[in-house]
Amino acid sequence: MISRHFLMAVLSLPLVALPAFAHEPGVGANGGVRVDAGHYHAELVADGTPAISLYLSDGADKPVAAEGFKASAIMIVDGKAQRFPLSPAGGNRLAGTAAVAIPRGVKGVVQISAPDGASAQAKY
Amino acid sequence: MACHLVRRGSLGPCGLLVGLGLAGLVLATGAWAHEGHDHGAPATPQVTTLAPRAEAASADFELVAVLRDGTLTLHLDRFADNAPVDGATIEMDTPEGSQAAKPVAPGTYVVPAPFAARPGAHDLAFTITAGDTVDVLAGTLTVPAAAASSDTQTPAPAALAQFGGLPVGALAGLLIGFLAGALVMSRRRAAALLVLGTLGVALAGAPQGARAADTPKPPVRDAAQRLPDGSVILPKPSQRILGVRTIVTASASHVGVVELPGRVVPDANASGLVQTAVGGRLAPPQGGFKPLGTKVAAGEILAFVHPPIGASDLKDLEQQGYELDQQIAIVKRRYERLSAIQNAVTRREVEETEIELKGLQTRRANLERVQREPEALRAPVAGVIATSDAMAGQMADPNTVVFRIIDPDRLWVEALGFSPDVGRSGASGRLPDGRSVTLTFLGAGMSDRSQALPLQFSVTAGAEQLRAGQFLTVLAEAGAPRTGIAIPRTAVVRGANGQTIVYEHVTAERFMAREVKTEPLDAGRVLVVAGLPPGRRVVTEGAELIEQIR
Repeated sequence: MISRHFLMAVLSLPLVALPAFAHEPGVGANGGVRVDAGHYHAELVADGTPAISLYLSDGADKPVAAEGFKASAIMIVDGKAQRFPLSPAGGNRLAGTAAVAIPRGVKGVVQISAPDGASAQAKY
Repeated sequence: MACHLVRRGSLGPCGLLVGLGLAGLVLATGAWAHEGHDHGAPATPQVTTLAPRAEAASADFELVAVLRDGTLTLHLDRFADNAPVDGATIEMDTPEGSQAAKPVAPGTYVVPAPFAARPGAHDLAFTITAGDTVDVLAGTLTVPAAAASSDTQTPAPAALAQFGGLPVGALAGLLIGFLAGALVMSRRRAAALLVLGTLGVALAGAPQGARAADTPKPPVRDAAQRLPDGSVILPKPSQRILGVRTIVTASASHVGVVELPGRVVPDANASGLVQTAVGGRLAPPQGGFKPLGTKVAAGEILAFVHPPIGASDLKDLEQQGYELDQQIAIVKRRYERLSAIQNAVTRREVEETEIELKGLQTRRANLERVQREPEALRAPVAGVIATSDAMAGQMADPNTVVFRIIDPDRLWVEALGFSPDVGRSGASGRLPDGRSVTLTFLGAGMSDRSQALPLQFSVTAGAEQLRAGQFLTVLAEAGAPRTGIAIPRTAVVRGANGQTIVYEHVTAERFMAREVKTEPLDAGRVLVVAGLPPGRRVVTEGAELIEQIR
């Protein structure tokens, strides 16, 4: 009856939940917090000023050219949500400026739109 | 090897199934982003009978967005205990812009989602303000092609029937079945499987669009269901109805506990018996006998006992009465005579006669009263009437217990233990119906009863609705501390196979049964010593209802 068991196993495989282990937020190459965002790694650098930078890299941490990418950030600062866009700023960097100073280790989400129309989001 | 024996005709679907399975495997693995780890939102099993949905969670909140008829319904709960979050402000950000959600029910919000008409993955960010907590959650809504297109095709009755309308699928299935049969019969199984797999993948790739359009539309209501891996999908609306609540497990050190059989007894200082001292006929007091449960004050008369007088006693008394009457008559006459000639007799003689007459009259009066006066039965303590055997006219023997008075706020528990030291630091009692009471150690007996030591506890909390004579389990602290996870007793359920299981809240709508080993902790909680790591969410309310989902 091995084949029947195999059949059952194979059939049920798509139903089995994949373990939900995302990357632990790590420190990126630029000293910011690096998390997963879709097919990319996104590293957020906030240094207590209103300006923040987002560095894109692929799954193997190779930089991805930010040209053509768009992103919008929602950051929680002092109990208020700050929304602002990020735009390509050379290399693999997207940059944006908020209305208030963004502290290091800020909580928030960055939604990224790739040039091919695909989108991804990074949660910090 | 059942497939071997079946003919070609039925091998068709069989081969198709294998092909589909392999295709499913390919598709499922394709969802992994890269080398072994998962990107983005926690992956949930794709259940085709559920409407498209997105899940997002943070340390404070858990959010499920369900797409139905172009509207996203957001179910917002607290992450730790699964209680709905009411009165929150939710703003949803999509790459197209942001929108505020409108509350429709406690913890339920709606927001229009025109973007969801387009199939594919939609990244959603939810900014939540609830009280002084602000959080931003990220989730991905994947809209399948079928749900996006507003086709009116009726759902196929069975999975295989979906492919009945597809000549390509049916032909390919037959072809694969035939090939499978032929190859397997030739006993080159490795080669057979390889060819089968390749064909399966090829088939899965070719008519994908056609099949997607044929996928049944999600039903109007999301149904709870048990998946083949034993986990349970329980949509948020169902969780709200079942009142599912969770706690986050934490490991801690707890003192050891022993379970003792116990019984509720009345407090010796706040209960009493009403007994007859002499036998007699019971008679109600003014206002009649008091019914059970009546509050009585100490000293209140509850009944009268009329001692009966036997026939011979009655004759004796009668005799005595006549004698006394006779004597009284004689002495009275003498006294009258002496009083008339006071100058001729001494004063002493007159006084003596007077005293004698009074004495005789008193004796006569007492004789009458003995026959008439009943004994009053009084409540010895204040409390309520717990038992009552009174009935008017009933003959009671001496020492009959007519009433039992108990103060319901002051009860003791008598337990049988094996060491006089248990329960000194704390104890609790669990009643058969699940209620629990707090107990305080009073004392331990010195003489064994039923080869065990009687221990007395007083009920310090939870005495309401407790009755004397009720049996309960006393959980007395004893022994060395143990380390484990304390969870409420309601969290633990018996599986169909008799195993002790708890349900872990794995993702927003998914519950996984976990086999655990428990030890008694106190009346309300058990200690999980194996099978459950700390930091997980365990269902504390509604676990039995989840267990019943098939």
